[in-house]
Amino acid sequence: MRNRNDSRLREEAGRPRPWARPRWARRGRRAGGGACGGTSCGCPGAVGARQAPAGARRVALVGSPNVGKSALFNHLTGAYATVSNYPGTTVEVTRGEGVVEGETVEVIDTPGFYSFLPVTEEERVTRRLLVEERPDLILHVVEAAALDRMLPLTFQLLEAGFPVILVLNMMDECERLGLSVDVDALSARLGIPVVATVAATGQGVDQLKQEVAHGGRSLLESAI
Amino acid sequence: MGARSLSLPFELRYTQPLEEAVEEVAQALDGGYGLAPRSIALLLLQGDEATVQRVGARQPEVVRRSRELAQALEAELGQPVALAVAAERYRWSQRVAAAVVQERAARDDTLGERLGRWAMHPWVGLLMVAGVLYALYQFVGLFAAGTVVDWLEETLFENWLTPRVNAAVAELIPWPWLQELFAFDYGLITLGLRYAVAIVLPIVGAFFLFFSILEDSGYLPRLALLLDRLCKRLGLSGRAVIPMVLGVGCGTMATVVTRTLETRRERVIATFLLALGIPCSAQLGVTMALLAQLPWGLVLWGGVVALVFLTAGFLAARLMPGEPPLFFSHIPPMRWPRGKNVLVKTAARMQWYFLEVLPIFLLASVLIWLGRLTGLFELLTGALEPVLAAMGLPAEAAVIFLYGFFRRDYGAAGLYDLADAGLLAPAQLVVAAVTLTLFLPCIAQFGVMWKERGPRVALTITGVVLLVAFGTGWSLHHAITWVGGVF
Repeated sequence: MRNRNDSRLREEAGRPRPWARPRWARRGRRAGGGACGGTSCGCPGAVGARQAPAGARRVALVGSPNVGKSALFNHLTGAYATVSNYPGTTVEVTRGEGVVEGETVEVIDTPGFYSFLPVTEEERVTRRLLVEERPDLILHVVEAAALDRMLPLTFQLLEAGFPVILVLNMMDECERLGLSVDVDALSARLGIPVVATVAATGQGVDQLKQEVAHGGRSLLESAI
Repeated sequence: MGARSLSLPFELRYTQPLEEAVEEVAQALDGGYGLAPRSIALLLLQGDEATVQRVGARQPEVVRRSRELAQALEAELGQPVALAVAAERYRWSQRVAAAVVQERAARDDTLGERLGRWAMHPWVGLLMVAGVLYALYQFVGLFAAGTVVDWLEETLFENWLTPRVNAAVAELIPWPWLQELFAFDYGLITLGLRYAVAIVLPIVGAFFLFFSILEDSGYLPRLALLLDRLCKRLGLSGRAVIPMVLGVGCGTMATVVTRTLETRRERVIATFLLALGIPCSAQLGVTMALLAQLPWGLVLWGGVVALVFLTAGFLAARLMPGEPPLFFSHIPPMRWPRGKNVLVKTAARMQWYFLEVLPIFLLASVLIWLGRLTGLFELLTGALEPVLAAMGLPAEAAVIFLYGFFRRDYGAAGLYDLADAGLLAPAQLVVAAVTLTLFLPCIAQFGVMWKERGPRVALTITGVVLLVAFGTGWSLHHAITWVGGVF
């Protein structure tokens, strides 16, 4: 998978380096306030979330409703955002501070998002965040057992030029259903890191932190 | 290029003629739109409103060109561009998934899965709902609101703290008007703190615990699916069940969650029903405890509130024009709740609740104190008295309706106090409980309604709710009197 990426890099000579932010991405502005921490709108937001210092890399958890984004947020930040086993619990953006291999990053939990063509208000909130803030890294959280229905969003995130890590969550459920996912093969096919997790128990979170520290991979900055 | 994209889906090249159009628009864009040009080009071709506006402001010619291209594409493909794009992405997805996902032999259903299916069965599902409600009544209505509240109220406050506070305040503060701020009937400690700690907290805690177990199990989306058909009658999709169920926890939180509903019509109807017919957890718990000694009253209360709720929803759906919504939802797996998750969740909710509630309770105590000091309080309760008299309620009940607007649970706690003091006859208790349940949402919920739906909708809803609440109370009072006279 490295080779394939590298060869494409060579083909597209003159394009920006993979890690440099391309021209169209440079407008990213830091919107510190505005996000509801909970009390202002009367909903339980994250309890005990510390805010990351300015300039920290921004890592956003994105995915359909009810795939475990908030549970992962809690693991990454050590805070508590409401987690429930039904869709639509997170309707506001929640932010917190996480530490991966000694580096402090800002972790952003977003409302459920199916596609870049939003239908509901919660999806619009997430799209606005992606467009206006340009997070430095996207963790696309999917339910492993429903991979085929959730990959289209991975494609759209890559298409939009974000560095993406694909998080296959609820692996335990997937196994219980008699399905197995070849994580390495998936990573090779997509050309981005793929991590298998069980957010309910914290399994796979350490590996996810390592991948976050390494920055994920953007496919398209070289391919556009 | 087209050929290569077929074997390498992650390269995200579409089949012709789509790819050609995407490339053309992407080349014409000058960047600065936050997403990669290809992404923006695709959104333009799919006619995304927000993107059309943003690009149109700086490069109107690109928007025009993309519209032409989209029309040509639609004619050529025989379907909207958005569908063609989605279909292509789905094909890539299928191909990738087919290559990496393996299915092992089918195995027996687990108990959880069978329970999960039963929960959605039309009859078994309803039996399960009844079972869940009964368990809720036992745990929150009888155990928490009965046993625990009794103990806290009597042992901790009435016998121990309140007399000591009253004595200490009488000792330390020479002026009676200031004494009343802290102690006696309406004091900060003897009323605000007592309501918050002794009445509301145990009930809300028990409810949150119960609710956390339910939501961690994956039961709620199944409930939504089960109730989908009923909801359609109310102009809502099954999706709206979740804000409604959440509303039993806290109406304010639930009003925020109505954002997940797709149409404006659905959001307004759901906001209205939340304001009218859904009691919040503390209110529900206190009401259950109040009526626990009066089984017919509890049934009557539930029946009347449900009837008003359904009628209002049905009428709202008729009066508000719009398309009936579609409902599709991904049903998460049914699983055994994990003890730690449930406890953390309950603790976090209680912490949030208490931090939000206590200041408001204390503030309400101060406002009531001020109101009494200035005579404004008497003026307001005086204005309410004729309305209450029409419902056959004593003048003392005016106070609880004023409390109720600060917080529903505060009002319910006041009702509890009044009933405890033996000031309400059984029929009056039921009428008061029904009216208070339907009565205005609390200040916080009103604020969120205002913010989310706008002043016009918020005020209209409030007006209608007020009318319906007092109207129902009045009708119920007369119905009970009439039935009492007949038998």
